[in-house]
Amino acid sequence: MSGLRSFVARRLLLGVAQTVAVVLLVFALTEALPGDAAVALAGDQPDPARIQAIREAMELDRPAYERLADWAAGLPHGDFGTSLASGRPVSRYVAEGFGPTLLLATLTVALLVPVGFGLGVLAARRVGRLADRLISSVTLAVYAVPEFALGVLLVTVFALRLGWLPPTAVGYGTDLLGHPAALVLPVLVLLSRPVCSLARLVRAGMIDALASPYAAQARRYGVSGVRIHYAHALPNALAPAAQQLARTIDWLLCGVIVVEALYVIPGLGTVLLNAVAERDVPVVQGLAVVFGVLTVVLNLGADLVAHRLAPRAGVAA
Amino acid sequence: MKNPRTGRFALGLAVVAVPLVLALLGPVFAEEPGRRAVSFTAGDGHWLGTDFVGRDVWQQVLHGGRPVVLTALAATTLACLVALPIGLVSALTHRRLLEELLMRPLDILLAVPSLLLILLAATVFSPGAVGLALLVALINVPDAARLVRAAAMEAAARPAVEALRMQGETWWRLAVGYVGRSMLGTLAADVGTRLTGVLYLVATAAFLGVGVAPDAADWAVMVDRNRTGLFLQPWAVVVPALLIVALTMGTNLLFDAALAGDRRSTRVQDTKRRGAPESLRSRAGSEARR
Repeated sequence: MSGLRSFVARRLLLGVAQTVAVVLLVFALTEALPGDAAVALAGDQPDPARIQAIREAMELDRPAYERLADWAAGLPHGDFGTSLASGRPVSRYVAEGFGPTLLLATLTVALLVPVGFGLGVLAARRVGRLADRLISSVTLAVYAVPEFALGVLLVTVFALRLGWLPPTAVGYGTDLLGHPAALVLPVLVLLSRPVCSLARLVRAGMIDALASPYAAQARRYGVSGVRIHYAHALPNALAPAAQQLARTIDWLLCGVIVVEALYVIPGLGTVLLNAVAERDVPVVQGLAVVFGVLTVVLNLGADLVAHRLAPRAGVAA
Repeated sequence: MKNPRTGRFALGLAVVAVPLVLALLGPVFAEEPGRRAVSFTAGDGHWLGTDFVGRDVWQQVLHGGRPVVLTALAATTLACLVALPIGLVSALTHRRLLEELLMRPLDILLAVPSLLLILLAATVFSPGAVGLALLVALINVPDAARLVRAAAMEAAARPAVEALRMQGETWWRLAVGYVGRSMLGTLAADVGTRLTGVLYLVATAAFLGVGVAPDAADWAVMVDRNRTGLFLQPWAVVVPALLIVALTMGTNLLFDAALAGDRRSTRVQDTKRRGAPESLRSRAGSEARR
């Protein structure tokens, strides 16, 4: 038990360090601006009034450590500063974009787990047969394809040629649930990579577990095949898959940004891309902290779950 | 067992051949840029129509593969060149502080989502193609260094290393001559998977407008910029998108098939090279680990 507790403690410590590092890294962004930050940010419109406004808005005259302390102290309260472009608080941007992104992510994860595990188990039960070869080849092929290329091709086929689905979510605003047809393609594209990796992992884990001594022993005892598959082998195939689920978060984040740009969904990804294009540093920083901390927390959770599922990782994995 | 692998290898080769040949030889066959025509038209002397500013799509396709492929290759090479010494040194050093100093910062870098890091850098620096390659390489260093370290530690625990050490061989000879050489197979496998990931990142970043000019001849940029004319002239989007799909898909299939065969052969060599006593010992080691 002490082993478990120390693992949890170490993992929590790493999580805290990662959170601090993300905050520092994001803050370092303004310090990394070449020359005078205000002049650099003014970019195309270098008139003195605008430079002065930026300098005041970002309080660039104060020393860096004071600004860091203020900014970091505001973060837990949801105070991310104000936008340079519009003067509105960054938290408003986050609140506005949160709904569509959360909807996309929830739908994707809700479908990802059953589809990924289903395909993996199906392939593992028919190793070497047609179903397995088909699933293995397709998942391997789709696994590496960038979302934007796949997404654009799907739009061409299903929206342009066949006319079954709307090509983008333009005009629906944040009310995406009212137009489920507009969600089909984005969720499908978001699912493409994670499903493939998850299915491959579950398949490999199941095959390993079924070939292990304890599965053979269970068979000798006359335990039914169904029970060996689902009660003995599957839980042991879960642990590596749970860890992969965490790595999937990184892909989902990348995917969400691309998919929102592609299907014109007004979520956090779109807000982030607009801010990057306008060099609106406070907004970029705020969103980066939200994304970064979210990743750290989800990774932490997945690691703890994986550890709980298979404390002696290495027996079957 | 052999049949699907060879089949997959041939399939991967066939799928990747078209985009790769286009990317490497395309610029040679491209003509001088002609007069700009009306944007988003089909036919009219343009085999694949025209793009959003009236350039010939086929000419753009011929030019557009090289940046994707070259940036990806450069980033992969760079990531490996940086990760190799970090991983080797941290695996072979006896100073715990040095090891922690090398590996801990990488753990923290792993926490930041890769595309987010690229976008953060894009806000500040507006990087070019070289900058994008550097960024993608940086993102891949932590993972690659960890893999090198794990492989090197496995090799460094072998009795042969102990013997070399007792003979007073130099650190260089030990690290590069023995440990480095014995993990070549693992490294080759890693380079393969890494290249697929890097291709994905480079193309996605270019699609989002990082590291490229807004009107660059680049397959990913073409997909992005010509999307507005998808209803008028789909070829300007579909052809580059298909080429990117073929490139990434083919690379993955090819490396998977090639490495699956390679892994098997190295394992056979390993058991041959190792004598009976050592394989006994390694079996004992794996028993103990259980």
